[in-house]
Amino acid sequence: MNPAGAGDRRGPDPDPRTGRPGEAGLASVTDDLRAFLAAVTGRGELRHIPPGTALFGEAVGLDSLTGTLLLREIQRRFGVDVAGEDLNLDSLATLGTLAAFVAQRARPRGSS
Amino acid sequence: MTRAGAVPDNTAPDNTAPERTGPEHPGPEHPGPEHPGPEHPGPEHRAPANPVKCVVWDIDNTLLTGIYLESGDEPPGADPVLAAVLAELGARGILHALASRNPPEAAAHTARVTGWRFAAAECGWGRKSDALTRIAATLGIAVDALAFVDDDPYERAEVGSALPGVLVLSPEEAAEAPGWPEFSPPVITAEARRRGEMYAERQRRQEAGRSFGGTREEFLASAGTQVTIAAATAADVPRLAELAARTRQFNSAAGRPPAQAGDAAPPGGDMTEDWFGGLLSARDTDVITVRLRDSFGDDGMVGGCVITRDAATWTVPLLMMSCRAMGRGVIDALLAWLTRQAARAGASRLLIPCGRDGRNVPLRLALAAAGFRVPGPPPAAYQRDLGTAPPALPGWVTAPGEPGGGTA
Repeated sequence: MNPAGAGDRRGPDPDPRTGRPGEAGLASVTDDLRAFLAAVTGRGELRHIPPGTALFGEAVGLDSLTGTLLLREIQRRFGVDVAGEDLNLDSLATLGTLAAFVAQRARPRGSS
Repeated sequence: MTRAGAVPDNTAPDNTAPERTGPEHPGPEHPGPEHPGPEHPGPEHRAPANPVKCVVWDIDNTLLTGIYLESGDEPPGADPVLAAVLAELGARGILHALASRNPPEAAAHTARVTGWRFAAAECGWGRKSDALTRIAATLGIAVDALAFVDDDPYERAEVGSALPGVLVLSPEEAAEAPGWPEFSPPVITAEARRRGEMYAERQRRQEAGRSFGGTREEFLASAGTQVTIAAATAADVPRLAELAARTRQFNSAAGRPPAQAGDAAPPGGDMTEDWFGGLLSARDTDVITVRLRDSFGDDGMVGGCVITRDAATWTVPLLMMSCRAMGRGVIDALLAWLTRQAARAGASRLLIPCGRDGRNVPLRLALAAAGFRVPGPPPAAYQRDLGTAPPALPGWVTAPGEPGGGTA
């Protein structure tokens, strides 16, 4: 009954080899962020941008509307309130800075 | 779906007698003799914290005088009292939407018999609190700017418990709503009267945008977007005051700590017509309006700002935009124009004091996207470096001081 997505909640799983968030966590957060960006902007090519890509400006063109949707999705999926923890929103400089910010703070589900 | 038939009419508590709940919502006939008159408005008598921007209505036994699916070939007609409430609130710029456990045809029927064009309709069998959340998102307004009207006490309890910020009313209470302050915006402008139509235009624009293949900029250009930035005149003052009172997500003064030293703006919420009127003739102060239109419709004045200038510093004590204009390049155009004009005038700093909280995230994103940062500790003032190359202004923006401005 429920639309797609409801059963798909997952945080950045801890690295299965080390049991804690690490490089694997960062890579999976980065991939998830690429997918969110592609979804909120409607631009599928954003699934392939490198971590150094600036989010504001030409390449991605994040604005107040798409940015709000992105932050809402990050809060829903990772439990991280980017706008609340980073008042200046400096973490939104590039895909890589945002992924690192989120990966550091994400609450792994089902663990303490 | 099952409850409507399962609850016998005579046991539903609110179907028997109109029950006034909530002493905080006195009807117009109970003004309360101890209240000071409007000519003595103390600071605590400002507009209510949550003016209602949209009323979400149930259909069966609420807007209709019966149950749509149980009425055979001849669906029920409109409740005449509530149809009049729809029109009265609509004339004040308040939107109407539908949330119903019915097929979509019921919404079309309700629109026909009430003669009203609803800004959004959620027809289905899920929770009504979810329907309200989707309606708020579709319209781009906060959930706590909604009111909800339903004859079914179960639905009212569900919405009231899941969404405590929503004003929940029985149909009997809704009949009195036009007298309540939540439904009485202080000023009603031409933009407010057209608001329902503009949301319908917005739906058509969003549908076109979803099926458009290119980037957002390409869509804005293809839709014939025109942003017009201009100096305010006396005729603009009521709408400026209305925007200052109604905007929150894009309002640099809202939520800011009151009474900052050297602040040209009064504490948020006191930006009255008198205040704007006085600024029109103030020295070294500009009051700016922003209008928006495209081939889908004319949104009128959707934003504005106040600029105070001295030789080295341009300060913007108020920057505001209707959230209806979100995603259409307006706030970005205004920030780019401010930056270009301040740089051209030889200013070394452009300051936009702006609090930072959970409700103005969209404005903070726009400021960050436009290159503004907060260099110091609170009270926060966004600053932009004016020494770098000025930002570009899209060709569809008309603005004072811009070379292409007169021809767009």
